[in-house]
Amino acid sequence: MPRTTNHRVRSRAGRTARLLGAGAAAVVAASGLAACGSGDDGVPVLNWYINPDSGGQAEIASRCTDDAGGRYTIEVSQLPRDSPSQREQLVRRLAANDSSIDIMSLDPPYIPEFAQAGFFAPVPEDVAQRVTTDVVQSAVDGSTWDGELVTVPFWANTQLLWYRTSVAEAAGLDMTQPVTWDQLVEAAQGQDVRLGVQGIRSESLTVWLNALIESAGGSIIAENSTDPEDIELGLTSEAGVRAAEVLRDVSASGTGGPALSTANEDTTATDFEGDQGGFQVNYPFVYPRAQAAVEGGTLDQAVLDDYGWALYPRVDADTETAPPYGGINLGVGAFSEHPDFAYEATECITSTENQAYYFVSNGNPASDTTVYEDPDVLSEFPMAPTILESLQLAKPRPQTPYYSEVSGGIQREYHPTASVDPEQTPQDATELIEAVLRKEQLL
Amino acid sequence: MSTKEKTGWIVGGVLIVLYCLAPIAWIVSLSFKAPADLSNASFLPTTPSTENYATILTGNASELFLPALVNSFGICLIATFISCVLSMFAAYAIARLDFPGKKFILGTALAVAIFPVISIVTPLFNLWRQIGLYDTWPGLIIPYLSLTLPLSIWTMSAFFREIPWEMEQAAQVDGATTWQAFRKVIVPLAAPGVFTTAIIAFFIAWNDFVYGISLTSTSASRPVPAALGLFSGASQFEDPTGAIAAAAVIVTIPVVVLVLVFQRRIVAGLTNGAVKG
Amino acid sequence: MSTTTSPPTPRTKAEPAPERHTSDRAKAERKLGWLLAGPALAVMLLVTAYPIAQAFYDSLFDYRLTDPENRSFTGLNNYLVVLTDQLWWRSIGVTALITVVTVAVELVLGFGLALVMNKALKAIRPVLRAAILIPYAVITVVSAFAWQFAFDINTGFINSWFVWLPGVDSTTDWFGDFGTSIFVVCLAEIWKTTPFISLLLLAGLAQVPEVLQEAAQVDGATWWQRMRKVTIPNMKAAIMVALLFRTLDAFRVFDSIFVMTAGANGTETVSFLAYRQTISRLEIGLGSAVSVLLFLTVVGIAFTFIKGFKVDLSQARGDS
Repeated sequence: MPRTTNHRVRSRAGRTARLLGAGAAAVVAASGLAACGSGDDGVPVLNWYINPDSGGQAEIASRCTDDAGGRYTIEVSQLPRDSPSQREQLVRRLAANDSSIDIMSLDPPYIPEFAQAGFFAPVPEDVAQRVTTDVVQSAVDGSTWDGELVTVPFWANTQLLWYRTSVAEAAGLDMTQPVTWDQLVEAAQGQDVRLGVQGIRSESLTVWLNALIESAGGSIIAENSTDPEDIELGLTSEAGVRAAEVLRDVSASGTGGPALSTANEDTTATDFEGDQGGFQVNYPFVYPRAQAAVEGGTLDQAVLDDYGWALYPRVDADTETAPPYGGINLGVGAFSEHPDFAYEATECITSTENQAYYFVSNGNPASDTTVYEDPDVLSEFPMAPTILESLQLAKPRPQTPYYSEVSGGIQREYHPTASVDPEQTPQDATELIEAVLRKEQLL
Repeated sequence: MSTKEKTGWIVGGVLIVLYCLAPIAWIVSLSFKAPADLSNASFLPTTPSTENYATILTGNASELFLPALVNSFGICLIATFISCVLSMFAAYAIARLDFPGKKFILGTALAVAIFPVISIVTPLFNLWRQIGLYDTWPGLIIPYLSLTLPLSIWTMSAFFREIPWEMEQAAQVDGATTWQAFRKVIVPLAAPGVFTTAIIAFFIAWNDFVYGISLTSTSASRPVPAALGLFSGASQFEDPTGAIAAAAVIVTIPVVVLVLVFQRRIVAGLTNGAVKG
Repeated sequence: MSTTTSPPTPRTKAEPAPERHTSDRAKAERKLGWLLAGPALAVMLLVTAYPIAQAFYDSLFDYRLTDPENRSFTGLNNYLVVLTDQLWWRSIGVTALITVVTVAVELVLGFGLALVMNKALKAIRPVLRAAILIPYAVITVVSAFAWQFAFDINTGFINSWFVWLPGVDSTTDWFGDFGTSIFVVCLAEIWKTTPFISLLLLAGLAQVPEVLQEAAQVDGATWWQRMRKVTIPNMKAAIMVALLFRTLDAFRVFDSIFVMTAGANGTETVSFLAYRQTISRLEIGLGSAVSVLLFLTVVGIAFTFIKGFKVDLSQARGDS
């Protein structure tokens, strides 16, 4: 028997065991830390579940902790990157009546579902009054369900039409006037440049289709209801068919680039910075993104100087555009132990000053209209007035507790966008979504 | 062996090594690309940058990544430890003792090993949120046992069969009880097998993704594979490719080290447990 | 007490011994056996049998997590919905495709690797062994990201490296349609799991009696003949075990799909379908039905292998 080997192994195993012991001690310590709802000194800790950003919400949390003067502290916890996963995580916890969720950063389309399920603490009337003063209508709409304000508007996002001034000039487009999708496709083809859109099978696709339908004067949900079986879809309406046509025409034109079916906001922005950049519809983050690239030395200042912006394209030349509305609103958890503090904190978070800070530092536009008069904002974001104008025209995505079913059904039928059939696809999507809502089909 | 044949082996060997290491080399290379360099369409970075490592270790993503790393290590080590202890006893009983139900235990282990994890994750999630194990360390450690236990039992039973049991009998003749014989004689003899099993069990726990994304929701227990999907770029719309690559490299380091140091044992453990004619 | 020979297998009633003594001893041994193996068994049953039973129970209800008030018993209706939905059958098809392609390629590739390792020079054997273990040990999610980034149109290098191949150019969008997405997914899976198969086969190779090989060689058998008549028949058990385990493993494919395509372009597998119904859509009832059906499918495959192909697991697992 090779005893020496065994001795060596035994001592190694002994070390492993000690390590494991240390690990076990760490677990106890860690779970002890995680479990406490208030700090050691009895000061309530408000947990704010945030969507990932560039650190702005964490900074605002610490500012508001200071403002609270020791009555409560705010700690942030990060949610996943895409909004459907953010919803999943929160719903899972809230379904467990989790009292550790005090404040949530929510993507507006999911707000009705949360409200309907009773996941929000009611908004006190005085708070509701204050947090909707001077706020763009789309953000107020996005915070409302069933005629009642259920969340606090925080920041509001919208897509603009970004163009290279040189390309638009060469194509003979007058960008001071509203432009249509057809004009853009023609210009992009004529100049051999890209028209960046988000064709990936994700929320981005629903955002695009919704903007097209709203711009054509229709809605994805024509007749709303809290009963899933009574929801009437507007995909097959005249506006719905027109939207599908534009979706198909833009995609089939080839101007979206070879990877249109996997193009998201980031890839669209990359393309726009590249040699073939011409036009794109995208959120304002593309501007600080390009500035960072110039600073990092990977983008020419000349390209940044060439950036132009305008309102989201129109579907029909004589109908006003309806740009996408997005952003984040703040919900207070129904099971929170400190809803009063939480609402107080949301007021601090969404203060004009903090919204301006968030806009300038993280590139996320404010829902508070007075922010757009801030000189810092105007110098950092010369397109701020266009953003405000866009937000005032913007339309939310369908508001329903069954949003994920509606959006998921749309993504399944309208992807890939190049093979959408305006006669057939809206019909198929309507049948699918209705069947899913009746629970007769999987999604 | 002729020189020609030798060259043949070496060429074959180099090809195999390339095949095995290329994706790893790629993710390492990618992790050293600066954000603006990511789409340079070539294998290597234009100029290597450690920016991505800074992001996940000290920057923006560190609040996500570092706790996840601690969670992954802690949860996997504890799960490995528990499954080794449990399977050590079980494997001893299977290899050594005569009792009915031995086949049943091995059969159960087999059934559990082929179990589709996704099928049990929802009921576990429901149960966990009711009893408060959701998003806690034990909430992951327990399901991890379903992954590590079956394999540990087989691997260890196979190892234990090769132990010269005469020594135990000798001890028993000397007046030791079965329990004493087990503890004093068999445990030291079995240590190498246990250790190998522990490494393999650790790999399996370390690899988990489904439980990690379904049964956690905060940094309190979220392991690294689940955290990888949560990184974001400079803003929420920018892709976190660089940060993911850097984090991927860091979580790959421990397994590579284990492989390099214990390769002979791991191979023995994998083949021993699985095929034994 | 039994006299043990090598290999040591526990004996049943090896020798007649004084009666009372044996039964006492057997009883004590039985008790100790259950005492030692019981906890492991209990844990295994607890974390699998209980949840699957619960899943079956849940599958009989119409139950959405965000709408608990409207939970209602629907009997087997959820199963009817799943089984009449083309999405289910499509995901079964996709899963089967991935399984067949990856397992077939892995078997051939793994066999080749095993042959090389079996015969390789002593000097390079440890290097090969370490290299081959790396894909096995790397986290599946990491491997999926590595392959995805490599093929991605923006971050990848594949398009620029393989531009000389017909059908590949700088604008090839690998994740843009079904065929190419599945190709990349399979590639990642094959890379990751071939080493495991090759190690199992290597162990099988080691069991082929050298004498038989030599005899065949003396008889003038070619390499291919020896392979077919001697090596492979003697490795049948090892091959079947490797096949069974990889098939069941491949059938549960989830991580790669989640990371690389998220089910776009019809690349959804059964596991991903189940995940989306329960975890994403929170349709506990419907999703549990998918889960139970997936479970039954896996059991069916295992049963087919064990009974149909007569895979002797007890032999393969050393449970003699």
